[in-house]
Amino acid sequence: MGSYIGRRILTGTLTIILAIIFSFLLIHLAPGNPVSILSGRDNPSPEMEAALIAKYGLDQSVFVQLGSYLKNIVQGDLGQSISNNRPVVEMIAERIGPTLLLSLTTAILSLLIGTALGIYCARSAGSKLDSALNGISYLFDAMPGFWLGMMLILLFASGLKLLPTAGMVDLRADYTGFAHYLDVLKHLILPGLTLTLISTPYFFRIARSSVIQVMSEDFVNTLRATGMKESRIFNKYVFKNAILPTVTVFGITLAYIFTGVAIIEIVFSWPGMGSFMLKAISSRDYPLLMGIYLILSVSVAVNMIIVDLLYAFIDPRIRYK
Amino acid sequence: MEKVQNMQNVKNVQNTGNARSSRSPFKRMLHHIRSIYQLKIGVTILAALVIVAIFAPLIATHDPYLLGDELTAPPSGAHLLGTDGLGRDIFSMIVYGARTSLLIGVIAALISGVIGTLLGGIAGFYRGRIDKVLTEVNNIFLIMPTFFLILLVIALFGSSMFNVMLIIGLTSWVGNARLMRAQAMSLRERTFVLSSTAIGESRSKILFKHIIPNGIFPIIANTTMNISGAILTEAGLSFLGLGDPNVVSWGQIVFNGRSYLTSGWWISTFSGLTIVITVLAFYLVGDGLNRVLSPKLRANY
Amino acid sequence: MAIMEVKNLSVIYHASGKRVAAVSDVSLTIEERDAIGIVGESGSGKSTLAMAILRLLPERIAQAQGEVSFEGADLLTLPAEKLNQLRWKQLAVVFQKSMNALSPVHKIGMQMTDVYRIKETGISKRETRSKMLQLLDMVNLPERVYDLYPHELSGGMMQRVAIALSLMHNPKLLILDEATTALDVVTQGQILEEMVALEQKLGITRMMITHDMSVVASSCNKVAVMYAGRILETGLVKDVLANPVHPYTKGLLKSIPSFTGEKRNIRGIPGSIPDLSVPNDGCIFAERCEHAMDSCLIEKPQDMVLPGNHRVACHLAGGAAYVS
Repeated sequence: MGSYIGRRILTGTLTIILAIIFSFLLIHLAPGNPVSILSGRDNPSPEMEAALIAKYGLDQSVFVQLGSYLKNIVQGDLGQSISNNRPVVEMIAERIGPTLLLSLTTAILSLLIGTALGIYCARSAGSKLDSALNGISYLFDAMPGFWLGMMLILLFASGLKLLPTAGMVDLRADYTGFAHYLDVLKHLILPGLTLTLISTPYFFRIARSSVIQVMSEDFVNTLRATGMKESRIFNKYVFKNAILPTVTVFGITLAYIFTGVAIIEIVFSWPGMGSFMLKAISSRDYPLLMGIYLILSVSVAVNMIIVDLLYAFIDPRIRYK
Repeated sequence: MEKVQNMQNVKNVQNTGNARSSRSPFKRMLHHIRSIYQLKIGVTILAALVIVAIFAPLIATHDPYLLGDELTAPPSGAHLLGTDGLGRDIFSMIVYGARTSLLIGVIAALISGVIGTLLGGIAGFYRGRIDKVLTEVNNIFLIMPTFFLILLVIALFGSSMFNVMLIIGLTSWVGNARLMRAQAMSLRERTFVLSSTAIGESRSKILFKHIIPNGIFPIIANTTMNISGAILTEAGLSFLGLGDPNVVSWGQIVFNGRSYLTSGWWISTFSGLTIVITVLAFYLVGDGLNRVLSPKLRANY
Repeated sequence: MAIMEVKNLSVIYHASGKRVAAVSDVSLTIEERDAIGIVGESGSGKSTLAMAILRLLPERIAQAQGEVSFEGADLLTLPAEKLNQLRWKQLAVVFQKSMNALSPVHKIGMQMTDVYRIKETGISKRETRSKMLQLLDMVNLPERVYDLYPHELSGGMMQRVAIALSLMHNPKLLILDEATTALDVVTQGQILEEMVALEQKLGITRMMITHDMSVVASSCNKVAVMYAGRILETGLVKDVLANPVHPYTKGLLKSIPSFTGEKRNIRGIPGSIPDLSVPNDGCIFAERCEHAMDSCLIEKPQDMVLPGNHRVACHLAGGAAYVS
């Protein structure tokens, strides 16, 4: 088990390091010079240029530069946002809450719904319902999330005028207390629904193929031959065997969920990092974009490590290695 | 947008992670029939798309770049799918957009196919340290938020079509490498490869003459799936305003339509629908090929 | 006395409008304390036959017709409750891949106990445990296996666990479906030897599904040769192996090397199993048979009974046209 955990921590750490190296390389390889990228200006003022050169050791060897780049990041300094002239870390910290709210809602809902449907369909594999859900899962998989979001806005908001389509709270009402949470919940429905619809197929297929595979294992036939009740075979034996792969997959899905969330936030003007990103792109705020990339890489790596630690404890095949 | 890629990776993890019980010839036959049906539909749609892309000037009713007088006109005889906020004909834009989307999809998937085949083949055939390094890179790419990296590169290097294809190709080869590695590992133990070694053929010659040609089938199927992944990624980039401004792409039409969602629903609706149909067609073909070409690596049902 | 009688058993798989006859019209009598080997290449329907007897075929796509009488009941039509009462008490099975015989994420002892308690309710935990340890001991496994997970054992050890599991209620009939195929030759020999000793001690009747004639030769007294869903030749091992009559049996026997006899060519039978979704009126083996005559292609051969209840379904058997 030690070696397994060690390996996963190594992978997580390397992911973070590689993300840092990528962003470092981009600053240096992109057209224009590092100073103009870090300052976001073609002609930065001499003072600003001098400050950046000193901070990142830009007049020294590449290794020194990488060293000081790393040092800044480890100290929690992701640079200065160009458009707002504030530290990137501070700005991301303000926006991370709404993004996490949306991401977690999506992750939990699609995991639960997808897994439940997947298990159900696997038990009646080949039935009409199974074929239908399978087809639907491919359909949603083929949809760009932003387009689905826009279609839902057309249907529920513009057409039926049922739900709010933009923001996280009603700015005109200024609710407090319970009414505030209810308001957030109402705003959460459409973006949450969109994201759940495009993420569920992923968990659905994993759970479904996992259950089908376990059901075809010899041990299931052996248990049936013993006269054990089908419900017990499933609840006690098949379920545990089938659910384990889903757990590991959950460790590596965060990147995919974040990607969906970032784009859906833009569609619904959700005040998280995604909406931010769009502004950063249009104002060429590279330090902010890189900050977002780094923060996401770290979250994803940490999430994977946590999930895999958990997995190592529940799967005996790893526990005893 | 990288969900397709991720799906593939997950499938591969499962395939390599579990010993699969062998299938009866009967079940194999059943799959074959279903897959062929699936392939037929997919190939028909794709053939239609390719024809549209090639003969775009003949099929389009208007110049897709021409700013007309009728702004946000609803679908009518004059404009089959209406016009956008600048008076451009949506139908003609979608027709020309097929060129962009297909070109980006195919080239990006080819780049990823070539890189994945080479690296996976080398790792699986030579094993040793190079294999360990590649496996680790594989694992890292599996969890890395690739889309944000792509976005960063495009934001910094500019959003030309060439850049978009290249960066998507360079970041999506992992699934292919994983598949090719598994193929190479099983092929290197086969008699015809062992006998080539025995008669003294060089290692690199064996890799290119035996391992890659014999193990390429799953990569072909996966590359078809990767085309749809690349098309979705391009659409995502366009939606962030990072599409190539010199050409029309489906993602860009959806993006432009966002501001006219209530006044001109047709702008985003039809262009997005085209993306869905195209991506589905590539799924059908890729999945069908996968079942027909590589019975062992097939996902369940 | 006959313990199981299979009468005209056919299994048909339905899929995409096709009907595949995986087992057709198989009749077989198993006497008490027999050890009968069902031999055939892969795809011959021998495993389907076993699954049909155990009623473990997926009902949605597989349909079994005929009769399997066991303990005075027809296993194919017996109500599920009654069937469950027979299961494991009277009728047990060991499957092909020993490593997958038990759930990989549950402990061996726990699973054995769980299975044991389906039939033996109201027995204390300690008693169950000691019974399980006895079983493990019976198949020469140490006690610590009880607290291990399947992946911690070797293939041979897991095969012993599976055998222990199948013998826990002294079943009347034990079906082994390619149970030793995945093992190395030495372990396979050991386990077969122990198996034979155990069943003599416990009075168990055994049905052994295998593609390996040498396994049959060393551990069975009767044999049935299956091909494309039909039994082509059956009888005592000493008759069938010494004097095979059916060209297919002869081919099978030629494909195993002999250590004692004269030097012969080891050769397989050219061709492959025919498409079972196409109805066949003649002899199913005719396409591959080097002695096939015109009548073989149109007329289905009836069983010829030779001395010692040695049965052969071949037009050439006993006929003057065929001299080996």
